[in-house]
Amino acid sequence: MDALVVLIPLLPFVAAALIGIGHFSAFLTGEAYENTTADIAGGAIILSCMMALTLVGADLLGFNTGTFSVGQWLGSDTLNIRVNFITTGFSVRLAALFTVLLLIVSRFSINYMHREAGYHRFFFILSLFSSAMLFLVLSGNAVGTFVGWEIAGLCSYLLIGYSYHRPVAGHNATRVFITNRIGDAGFIVGIGLSYAWVDTVNWSQLNVAATELTSGEATGIALCFTVAAFAKSAQLPFTPWLARAMEGPTPSSAVFYGAVMVHAGVYLVCLLQPIFEQSLLARIVLAVAGLSTAIYSVIVGLTQSDVKSSLTFATSGQLGLMFLACGLGFWQLAAWHLCAHAVVRGFQLLTAPSLMHNVQAIPVKPVSPSIAGLRWAYIASLQRFWLDEITDWGLVKPVNCVAHDLSYFDDNIVDRLIGIPAPALSTLSALAQREEKRIGARLDNDIDEFAHGSGVAGKLTEWAAAVTHWFEDRFVLRGIGKDSIDFGRRLGYAANKFESLILRPRYLVLFVCITLLVAF
Amino acid sequence: MLSLIILLPLLGAIATGLSGNARLTKQIAVSVAGLELVLTMFAVSMFNADVGDFQLVEHYAWIPSLNIEFFVGIDGISVLFLPMSALLTLMAIVASWNSIQHLGRFHFALLLALEGVTMGLFSALDMMLFFFFWELTLPPLFFLIGLWGIGPERCNAATKYILFMLFAGVPLLFAIILLAVNHATETGVSIPEGLSFNLPVLLKTPLPGNLQEIVFLLLLLGFAVKAPLAPFHTWLPTAAMEGPAHTTALLTGLKLGVYGIIRFTMPLAPSAAVEYSWVLGILGAVTLIYSALIALQQTNLRRLLAYAGVSHVGLVIIGIASLNMQGIQGAIFQLLNFTLIAGSLMLIAGFIQQRLGSTEALHLGGLAQVSPRLTGFYFLFMLASMGIPGTNGFPAELLLIIGALLAHPSLGITALAGAVLNAAYMLTFTRRAFLGPVTQSGVNRMQDLRPREWALLCIPAVLILALGFFPNNLLKVNRLSAELWLSRLLDQPALQSDEIAGLSVVP
Repeated sequence: MDALVVLIPLLPFVAAALIGIGHFSAFLTGEAYENTTADIAGGAIILSCMMALTLVGADLLGFNTGTFSVGQWLGSDTLNIRVNFITTGFSVRLAALFTVLLLIVSRFSINYMHREAGYHRFFFILSLFSSAMLFLVLSGNAVGTFVGWEIAGLCSYLLIGYSYHRPVAGHNATRVFITNRIGDAGFIVGIGLSYAWVDTVNWSQLNVAATELTSGEATGIALCFTVAAFAKSAQLPFTPWLARAMEGPTPSSAVFYGAVMVHAGVYLVCLLQPIFEQSLLARIVLAVAGLSTAIYSVIVGLTQSDVKSSLTFATSGQLGLMFLACGLGFWQLAAWHLCAHAVVRGFQLLTAPSLMHNVQAIPVKPVSPSIAGLRWAYIASLQRFWLDEITDWGLVKPVNCVAHDLSYFDDNIVDRLIGIPAPALSTLSALAQREEKRIGARLDNDIDEFAHGSGVAGKLTEWAAAVTHWFEDRFVLRGIGKDSIDFGRRLGYAANKFESLILRPRYLVLFVCITLLVAF
Repeated sequence: MLSLIILLPLLGAIATGLSGNARLTKQIAVSVAGLELVLTMFAVSMFNADVGDFQLVEHYAWIPSLNIEFFVGIDGISVLFLPMSALLTLMAIVASWNSIQHLGRFHFALLLALEGVTMGLFSALDMMLFFFFWELTLPPLFFLIGLWGIGPERCNAATKYILFMLFAGVPLLFAIILLAVNHATETGVSIPEGLSFNLPVLLKTPLPGNLQEIVFLLLLLGFAVKAPLAPFHTWLPTAAMEGPAHTTALLTGLKLGVYGIIRFTMPLAPSAAVEYSWVLGILGAVTLIYSALIALQQTNLRRLLAYAGVSHVGLVIIGIASLNMQGIQGAIFQLLNFTLIAGSLMLIAGFIQQRLGSTEALHLGGLAQVSPRLTGFYFLFMLASMGIPGTNGFPAELLLIIGALLAHPSLGITALAGAVLNAAYMLTFTRRAFLGPVTQSGVNRMQDLRPREWALLCIPAVLILALGFFPNNLLKVNRLSAELWLSRLLDQPALQSDEIAGLSVVP
């Protein structure tokens, strides 16, 4: 029964490919073909849901061997990355749950997205996402999981930017993707470290070898994957991206940020349970970040005035509790919490548009008087603890400033030192030269009839004359004149400017980073 | 076979130069480029990946008095560059189908000549022959940038390019002569007879330590300008802004300089290369971060792509400097990717330029609404350049980063920081130019891709996805050659300790 596992992510992928090619070649467009697209996407997800349920059944009856390998994807030296799948345990059950949720959301979207301009695009991305997410959960090695991880992130980018003609959609999509990219970097370092220390990228082998790792090595691997998990599951300090991500259409919000994708981080941590059990520090990090995210989300969630953002903060708070459970060692609890939360939050987000109708008559419950009086908490909560602003001030702005300075440096200093820069005032100087030629003046002409010899001796004399002339011109006439004083002054001014530039915090931080990298 | 591959485009260039009308010229150019592509694919099929050494070797005397030979051959490192260059040239010719309004004959002749010379560069095994082809790339590019450029400073850009490359040629020639003279001294034969420019022979000739350093630095300097590595990269943004887009696609797509570093700099001075690999690594890291940061500030697509290209070269150099299988295989993979990704992106920039007269973000905005197909292709290529899984950028970047992490953790972390910046500058520009509302009236009238352009971009798109899903097919081709390359560097008798200048070498 193991072989079934291949079809679970493959079927939605084929659906995505069909819709994508069909839409791109202008075959699947417009309202007339909405049914075709819906049939392809829906059919694929129904089939893969059935496969997943069969696989769970087979797993429960003990028919599965645990892994299924298709073949080698990439091999270089001892690095051997296969396309392999996990066919037993938590991964399969979670995959089954996700297929059911994805099926429900797909069905919901068929009506919800009706007559939307990007109908076909939406289903292309949704199918691709389903495939990526199932691959993430079922893949038997770290690189396969990363592939699903990254494609799911890309789909999230594409759906946040779904109505791309609105400036805010494009802006938020970009911001979310780049935030997630930092987590991806952590993931890659984790893969690299596993390969370097354990010589494998397979989850099963990595977990088996975990007991042989020293606690330092285990901490290194665990912390790298923790960064990835925090970025994906919107834990502090990455939490703000989740609120930005609500820009997409409602079904996509439900499936990405309510039901499925945000749980990928918790899943990753659960998958690596043996590694985390080797490292106390990593578990402390999990618990502390989880707890602080939960507190943060509760405080911020209190002041949200629209249903989607309050659900956002409820989600990140619950995820924080899951990480806290993992950090404290309650792995089973975290896994159950994950499954239960996925169902409930998916439902809440799907019904969010109609929620307002349902609760119209019910007044909003006020907060308890003990915290109602805290004005600073109200402001902090309203401003979401300035996390976005702090990131902007601490990371985005300095990087942009350094980039700006470097760009100037490249154009005005490197280019001038190394190459021949494009003449900035070429038109003017060309005009001046033309004028010069017209009036026959030879203002800067080195070849003079006087020093124009023939033969060896003549040439030698000519060169000697030219050299002496150049020497006198450069050093004697210009050297000790107004120019040299001017030059000195400009040099001093430039040095001052350079010094003040160097002493700015962003450069200090940059130098500290470089020093750390070199010393590392 | 190889000499036919080199000669065919050159003959084609003469034929196009002599042909009468414009239409016939284009037809000849396309058929010659297509035939060349078929020939190079045939050469790839003749290539046996189970042999690590040079294959399809052809040997003729050229200048017997100096022992200079016409000696060509390919191995696993160079073989795939031939079809990729042929493909890119074909794409460039098709892309410039209607955009060239004057001197069409001369233009297509130059493109074909450039193709022939490039083929020669990738297959030359005689150092002098290589140098000959190296310098021969300059005249076609000079005229291509200078005559059909789109910027007001095109002549200046062409001159700048030529001066940079001539400057790079000097240390190269000097190093080649040093190597040949060293061969004469080592064998004890008097100078004209004892000289050798033959690469396999020179690889076997031992080089004294101090000479190794000189040769390594000279060759590195020569190739660094062409690669381009910071601080010698300034010619590329200028050329990208001033030159015609399809020529710039060739410039950014064909990384001759990095190929030279892999092929000549490292193996010819092996112990210096291992000793100074940290210099190479730092150079790569600085180039990567420096140009990625500058790219963050660019508002023009062509300039952005030029800096992105420089940044990617930095990553490849890090891979080469990490001196392990993952690093070198990833480096070769990434170089081949350039041809597809950077070349196609530059061609797309050319299409936008042709339609709107600008690639400045200020003049664009909301392109996704008016030209969905162009945007679709742009997204695919952009994602590939960011290394998103499913495209060929991913396996290459994964190998490079793992290689760098194994060689030295800070190199790996720098490479990852580069990857984050890469996403930042690409997506920021995409947001400005492709997303958002349409603000310029010209954009509203913009035409989407025509069938010719559509078909043209389909080929690299399919290849990008195919290589992304099945990267092993490509890695198999260069596995043995890469192992040979690596063993030449690491298994030297002169190399006693494993710990060299802070870089731990993974055996």
